[in-house]
Amino acid sequence: MTRISARYLGKRVVVSYITLLVIMTLLFALLRSMPGTFLASMITPEMTPEQIARLEEVWGLNEPLWVQYVDFMVNYQTGEFGMSPTRRVPVWDVIVRRLPRTLILFGAGFIVAYIVGPLVGMYLGWWRGSRKDKSIFASSLVMYSMPSFWVAWLFIWLFNYELGWLKSTYMFTKFPEFEWTIVTTLTDVLHHITLPLLSISFVGWVGAMLVMRPSMNNVTEEDYVFLAQAKGLSERTVMIKHAARNALIPVATQAIVGLAFLIDGSILIEQVFSWPGIGELIVSSVLEKDYPIAQASFFMLAVIIIVMRLLTDVVYTYLDPRIKFGGGQ
Amino acid sequence: MSTQSESRFELDTIRERWEPRIERFKRGWARYTTHKMGVIGLVILVIYILWALFPSVFAPHEPAWKAYVGYENTRWTAEQSASLPHPPAFGDPFFAPLGTNANGNGIYTLLVYSAKDALYIGFAAGLLSSLVGVPLGLISGYYGDTWIDETIQRIVDVMYGLPFLPFLVVLVAIRGVNTTNIILGIAITSWLNNCILIRGETLSLKERAYIESAKVAGASDTRIVFRHIMPNVLPLAFVFLAQDAAIAIITQASLAYLGLADFTANSWGIMIENVKAHGYIYEAPWWLIPPGLAITSIAAAFYFIGFSMEDVTNPQKE
Repeated sequence: MTRISARYLGKRVVVSYITLLVIMTLLFALLRSMPGTFLASMITPEMTPEQIARLEEVWGLNEPLWVQYVDFMVNYQTGEFGMSPTRRVPVWDVIVRRLPRTLILFGAGFIVAYIVGPLVGMYLGWWRGSRKDKSIFASSLVMYSMPSFWVAWLFIWLFNYELGWLKSTYMFTKFPEFEWTIVTTLTDVLHHITLPLLSISFVGWVGAMLVMRPSMNNVTEEDYVFLAQAKGLSERTVMIKHAARNALIPVATQAIVGLAFLIDGSILIEQVFSWPGIGELIVSSVLEKDYPIAQASFFMLAVIIIVMRLLTDVVYTYLDPRIKFGGGQ
Repeated sequence: MSTQSESRFELDTIRERWEPRIERFKRGWARYTTHKMGVIGLVILVIYILWALFPSVFAPHEPAWKAYVGYENTRWTAEQSASLPHPPAFGDPFFAPLGTNANGNGIYTLLVYSAKDALYIGFAAGLLSSLVGVPLGLISGYYGDTWIDETIQRIVDVMYGLPFLPFLVVLVAIRGVNTTNIILGIAITSWLNNCILIRGETLSLKERAYIESAKVAGASDTRIVFRHIMPNVLPLAFVFLAQDAAIAIITQASLAYLGLADFTANSWGIMIENVKAHGYIYEAPWWLIPPGLAITSIAAAFYFIGFSMEDVTNPQKE
């Protein structure tokens, strides 16, 4: 614990913050570089020039570009996301309602993928080259190649349409016949989340496995593994307690990249299951040309990725005792 | 007389120079073919390349063909149009081995004609991201721990914080939905992995003795990087090219699913999107399953090839 110093944490936080600022700048540039303005979707032919001018005034489009940029940076960091032109409600309200739902689905997907992936990778790496390893490895690559939305439709077809076991849309039952108690709420959510979760993790776990397998294989050649075997420990103990722990370190680095992959997956899956999250929001708002909402959802997703990266970074340095930090000792 | 012997002499030197390379390639090929996975991947890829090059040989009709009426511009009877999408039919009342979609086009025909699109996106995006990622990775690795390396790595760091698919969605929505923009968008975000891994490889290669001796011999940095280091990282670059191609094909299908695709083109992603748009997810499995399998198999083929090549280029791993 003492190995992670306040100074190290502070440094990581500052780096993450700068990353966020750069991404915000990119986002600003991206949205300003499009032809015309988002007002085009709000202007109707019967509007007078004065009305159009007032709209531009309200949205701050008459200001010089740098003022718009500073406004944007300041407003976004103070949680001031503006109004949605199509929904006519503050963007913040929409985002705040959607965010927890995305976090639940994505967080659950992340946990499942990073439990299953390293576990399978551990077994395959331990028995690398065996028949079992080859066939499981090949089939997991096939799973990795499947378009997640297509897998999701197949799951819906099987578990919802044919068998009727699980729900395929939304997060809660609409107009339920039961009371909302803690137990019924939980079972209801579980009923709804199982299929989306299954679809995300079906494809998502492979990324971690692909890293764990060679890493585990390298570890099996190490002296301490031979020593542990020579001591007469059971193969299981050696594999899990001695080898896998060290092989896990590269998986933590991979998780930094895998995060973005899982976020992508959850956006598609939200779309398939009408899961009312940020990912569904960003796609619909882009298609409706509601740029304030699109911009804010993009920003929120970037914040999720950056915060998760910070966390994985800290976990990674905690896992690997060889890393020493400035000011630690 | 003398010119003839001279040209033979030249031929001999060429042969001498190329022999070890051909020999190395043969050995690599022999190693590659021991991987069943890699061979399967190659076979699948070759089939799709043939589909893309000669679609009319493999497909029973042109994409414009419609059930019952063929190429004629006549209307269906109410009964005929109610039977669409039609399950697989073999000659009676028409020939469509995988059935038809709601517009009466043959699924198998569309499948064959879409192979070109998938291969184009895969190769173009894969090549483009290698063209950006490999040189940057080489430079970053060769100048490791200098400000050049630091700058490139910071850029890579920031780009990793970018939500990939949302970025593509916004980019394509702004710049217009066409294949070129989709390829550009995919390449902008997928060079990162290449860059990081090539950098790592370069960092370890540049400590080798032969680089040291090239330096002592007075070779310039450019020459060392491109003549001495690059040939050694190229096999690795091909591994990432294959993986990027797979990712690009899946990503393009995902974009099509989200409604961001050039809907005049034939593509497997658009076929799946159309099943949803027409509301036949549950009723027409012959329409839903083949395009998904096509995407899966081509992406898997690229992964299979990539991972088998990785084993070939890293013989010490075995």
